[in-house]
Amino acid sequence: MNSAAGTSPHPQTVAQPVSRRRGITERYRLFLYALPFLVLVFVFSYMPLYGWIYSLYNYRPGFKLSDTPFVGLQWFRSIFANPTQTQEVLRVMKNTVAMSALGILTSVLPVAFAILLSEIRSMRFKKTVQILTTLPNFISWVLVYAIAFMMFNVDNGLINKLMIELGFQDRGFNYLANDSHTWLAMILWATWKGLGWGAIMYIAAITGIDQEQYDAAKVDGAGRFRQMWNITVPGIMPTYFVLLLLSIANFINNGMEQYFVFQNPINKDHIEVLDLYVYNTGMLGTNFSFATAVSMLKSIISIALLFFANRLSKWVRGESII
Amino acid sequence: MVQMKKKKALTASVAVLLAASLAACSGGNNNNASPTAAPSGSASSGASASASGSSAPQRDAYKIDVFSMLSNFSGEQQGWFAKVVKDKFNLDLNIISSNLEGGGDVKFSAMMSAGNLGDLVVFGDDGQKYQDAIKAGMLLDWTQDGLLDKYGQNLIKYAPKAIEKNKVNFGGGSKVYGVGFDVGEGDGPSEGKDMTYNPNLRYDLYVKAGSPKIVKMEDYLPVLKKMQELEPKSDSGRPTYAFSMWQDWDGNMMMNTKAWAGLNGFDEGDGFNPGGFTLISADKNEVQGVLDEDGFYMRGLKLYFDANQMGLVDPDSMTQKFDDVVNKMTDGQLLFTWFPWLNTYNTPERLAAGKGFALVPFEEERTFSYGNNPYGGNRIWAIGAKAKHPERVLEFLDWMYSPEGTMVANYGPEGLAWKLEGGKPTLTEFGQQALPSNPTAVPDEFGGGTWKDGMNQINNTTFKLTTINPETGDPYDYTLWTSTLAQTPNKLEESWRAAMGGATSAKDYLQKNDMIAVNKQIFTGTAPEVISDELSQKQGQVSQVIKQYSWKMVFAKNEAEFDKLKKEMISKAKGLGYDDVYNWNKSQNEKVFEYRAK
Amino acid sequence: MKIRSSTGDKVFHTFNYLFFAIFTLLCLFPFYYLFINTISSNDLSSRGLVMWYPKEIHFNNYLQVLKLKGLSQAAIVSVGRTVIGTLATVAGSAFLGYIFTKRKMWARTFWYRFIMITMYFNAGIIPWYVIMLKLHMTNNFMAYILPMIVSPFYVILVKTFVESLPEVLQESAEMDGAGTMTLFFRIILPLIMPIAATIAIFSAVTQWNSFIDTVFLMTDQKYYTLQFVLYKYLNESNSLAAIIRSSGGAANVDLSKMQTATSIRTTVSMIVVIPILFVYPFFQRFFVKGIMIGAVKG
Repeated sequence: MNSAAGTSPHPQTVAQPVSRRRGITERYRLFLYALPFLVLVFVFSYMPLYGWIYSLYNYRPGFKLSDTPFVGLQWFRSIFANPTQTQEVLRVMKNTVAMSALGILTSVLPVAFAILLSEIRSMRFKKTVQILTTLPNFISWVLVYAIAFMMFNVDNGLINKLMIELGFQDRGFNYLANDSHTWLAMILWATWKGLGWGAIMYIAAITGIDQEQYDAAKVDGAGRFRQMWNITVPGIMPTYFVLLLLSIANFINNGMEQYFVFQNPINKDHIEVLDLYVYNTGMLGTNFSFATAVSMLKSIISIALLFFANRLSKWVRGESII
Repeated sequence: MVQMKKKKALTASVAVLLAASLAACSGGNNNNASPTAAPSGSASSGASASASGSSAPQRDAYKIDVFSMLSNFSGEQQGWFAKVVKDKFNLDLNIISSNLEGGGDVKFSAMMSAGNLGDLVVFGDDGQKYQDAIKAGMLLDWTQDGLLDKYGQNLIKYAPKAIEKNKVNFGGGSKVYGVGFDVGEGDGPSEGKDMTYNPNLRYDLYVKAGSPKIVKMEDYLPVLKKMQELEPKSDSGRPTYAFSMWQDWDGNMMMNTKAWAGLNGFDEGDGFNPGGFTLISADKNEVQGVLDEDGFYMRGLKLYFDANQMGLVDPDSMTQKFDDVVNKMTDGQLLFTWFPWLNTYNTPERLAAGKGFALVPFEEERTFSYGNNPYGGNRIWAIGAKAKHPERVLEFLDWMYSPEGTMVANYGPEGLAWKLEGGKPTLTEFGQQALPSNPTAVPDEFGGGTWKDGMNQINNTTFKLTTINPETGDPYDYTLWTSTLAQTPNKLEESWRAAMGGATSAKDYLQKNDMIAVNKQIFTGTAPEVISDELSQKQGQVSQVIKQYSWKMVFAKNEAEFDKLKKEMISKAKGLGYDDVYNWNKSQNEKVFEYRAK
Repeated sequence: MKIRSSTGDKVFHTFNYLFFAIFTLLCLFPFYYLFINTISSNDLSSRGLVMWYPKEIHFNNYLQVLKLKGLSQAAIVSVGRTVIGTLATVAGSAFLGYIFTKRKMWARTFWYRFIMITMYFNAGIIPWYVIMLKLHMTNNFMAYILPMIVSPFYVILVKTFVESLPEVLQESAEMDGAGTMTLFFRIILPLIMPIAATIAIFSAVTQWNSFIDTVFLMTDQKYYTLQFVLYKYLNESNSLAAIIRSSGGAANVDLSKMQTATSIRTTVSMIVVIPILFVYPFFQRFFVKGIMIGAVKG
């Protein structure tokens, strides 16, 4: 709270440079442009972090912090309370890492989608595809599951009916209660839902490529694939790398809505990612301090990964993104 | 340059704005309560409470926030119930549902942090949250300024023991912070025509199969198999099953399996403590662990496993949601249900054709009944400490604890769905169409909209509906009114009654044959003990294992796999601390047994 | 410039068109399926008998949802927060992203990281709520706008995009004596239109779809948004399950009382998606053609 009060003198300094611009160096002038935004970030993103202190207490909302018992690192330690639980956490982490890794591997798909779409000549077709492929993004996972159940259920599912009619199966099969390719299935669903939407950014990036480059290449007699490879791909690479690094840092946060609706006792061993596990065991609802401890750990891991990825980028590409 | 100046002016003003709000922020530090009072404009609560006389005929419109942990509706109460409350109390009910808004306890935590739980508060149980709210001063003490004596005459008259229980258990013997739900007097079972758990079969098929005798619960399987052979397809041509289950309602264990314990007189929770890994007998001092080899839970799992081997279990059980099961029931894909309330198959047309579900008990059955509880159940009605006019909130709550209020809150004002004939309630034509909760259009003078949308959405009861309304001599529950019972039975009912020795309802039959285990309610003088965070963490993890393995066992390929999974479940659950939670549950249950003896 | 297409080109195009046609159908069908179920007989739909085409068409579901109390006010709030919020987000991220490309800025890397890492923080909803409360952001329309102005992700997008532009442009303008602001409005803004449009779409959809802030911050119905009013319906079956689980499971539930019909819930999700589909083509024109940097220069 004190450091927040410290920012209050700034408004006057912001107003001054208008008249006395020459007196202040370019460096600070640029900083002052950014300052109001930095203050916003501080207020809305950093100030709530005071809540991290709850992880050291046995805190209950509604009480003063001083009235609740201090427990030190107990909540952090309780994540690895005993061997069986450690095993559970390891299993969950394995899923988390696997799903994130697959997510990163499939992150090239929107790029390919955007490049291929840019090759479509018919404007109307292109526009229609662009709009309609974003549709799944707007359907909530609850409804996506309803659709999945409609397609894959045993009695009446489209797929089962088809397979039986074609003679591949002699009886209905519960595709959803099946643990053989859980990770892959989840990635496929996520790809279907997010591909069109994710490609928007790359479509924009392609639009930003200087048209002159293509014209020049055509004069040089470069074919379609050559143009794609030599102009389009390098043109959207910066955007791709930024997003890639961001997703590496997001390794541990896979969210849970998708996994929550698709989970069942059979695929649970492989579908339970960290967020879902914490939710399933009911720890978030009842235990405020524990929930804080978990989200704190996640934040720290993410930021560590971010800087690690940044190093990697510096080493591989010679430039950092942050 | 002009543009630059503008931009700078803008940025400067943003910064000033932020600085100002920061100042406001640090100002609020020394007083937790002050910032919350400001937005709702209820700063003047103390002064106005005494000023507004509730006896004044025309009172100011007053919108109260009803924070309910049991409601599945959020927003302003609509329709006929809104009109009743408006006309009588000039109140508007703004319902906040913790489950719809944020889910879990997040909304509760936020409101606790803000220091205001709304005006009328409904707690899902009397555990941690209720006790915390009292400790943190979020709830109003009804004895303050003699509020309860002045505005709570019905509560004092009709729920004295429930008030006393709250005073002793939660208010240190002098203060009253809330009152429990489902207050009821009398020994026998507390349910209406049907019990909560009833083995219901497609009765027409059961008769066609020759009405075989059923002694123990496993005997249902061959009968159901025969029924399935008699009717292999539903109305729309889909396969029929005995058991179609769903997993989204599973709490500490597999809910559909626990139902078998319920049919044998055991249930999770003893009526005083919240549930865990023990199954408690309703009327004997017996406790079973969920994982007990010879317990009803394990027996239920074996039953489903056998049923699955016979092709009686819906293969979609693990992946479908509750909604899908209801749709299957409506379509006629099911032959069995544990719960009478799941029965959407019995439409008037089918009943007239003699088709439908009805109770087919097994001889060993001892159905769990929750029993009448004069002390009130563990779902709590309370009033927020920051309520602007607490007396008007209490007055409203008090009305719901009156015979008149109970009738109106459940079945609407007299003259709409019911009327009095010779002092006895009778359903009107509208009532026959609309009840229990159909989207029948309500006339404008009663508030318009549909019956269903206009129903009381707070979703907590006051009196147990099966208790006798002192003003009419009939129970509150419309299915038990003399006039309703006198209605001519439909074709299915007729044949069922004839076969069951003239019993008029499922409860009637079970009661006459001593097949109900009634849970005895107790008065402890202490609040239920709250589970420690450590144990609750263990409980969360162990229940995951139990649920997962239970389902896997049901769908195991063969006996060997079933046994292997069972062993795995037990060792994994124990590794995560099953015994600790079980022992704690058991010790709490045993305390209850001591009180039962008193 | 048109070159006669080779066989390879033809094959490529055929496959390309085919791929997009199939994928588009895959994306469209579920949506179509949900839609025909909302206009078909509710009874048939609940029994899963509506699959390929609508049966016994009616629009009662839509009429019923549109009759909900407070819906028009909520729609106004939603449009308001979407339009104002999007403008603020686009302006904020474009400007800040541009400033961060300036290597001369004091402690640039530090401040850039200062903003970036907030993407990975999660203080939890309660501390956030308490801060918002203290800032008087409850029952305040500004709560929809102010926190959204700086969005690290969009700032990064702009920064990356600007950095990929030829530096010559800015340098030559600076030679001519243009200041930071002039440069931003004259040169940068027109060039970053495609990424600005992307951000606009993303942030408009985010604004349109968010409800968590309304859940916690708004108690006055004046500030309810469309998504808030409607999302509660989507959440009903989960919420019902949660109520039952927390009360020991299998309590005597009056089912029909607790839940709105599935058909209504599906209708609700149609109603929030359809406006997006109408607005989307407006943004599309920013993507369609590559920008001629030469043209801007000249």
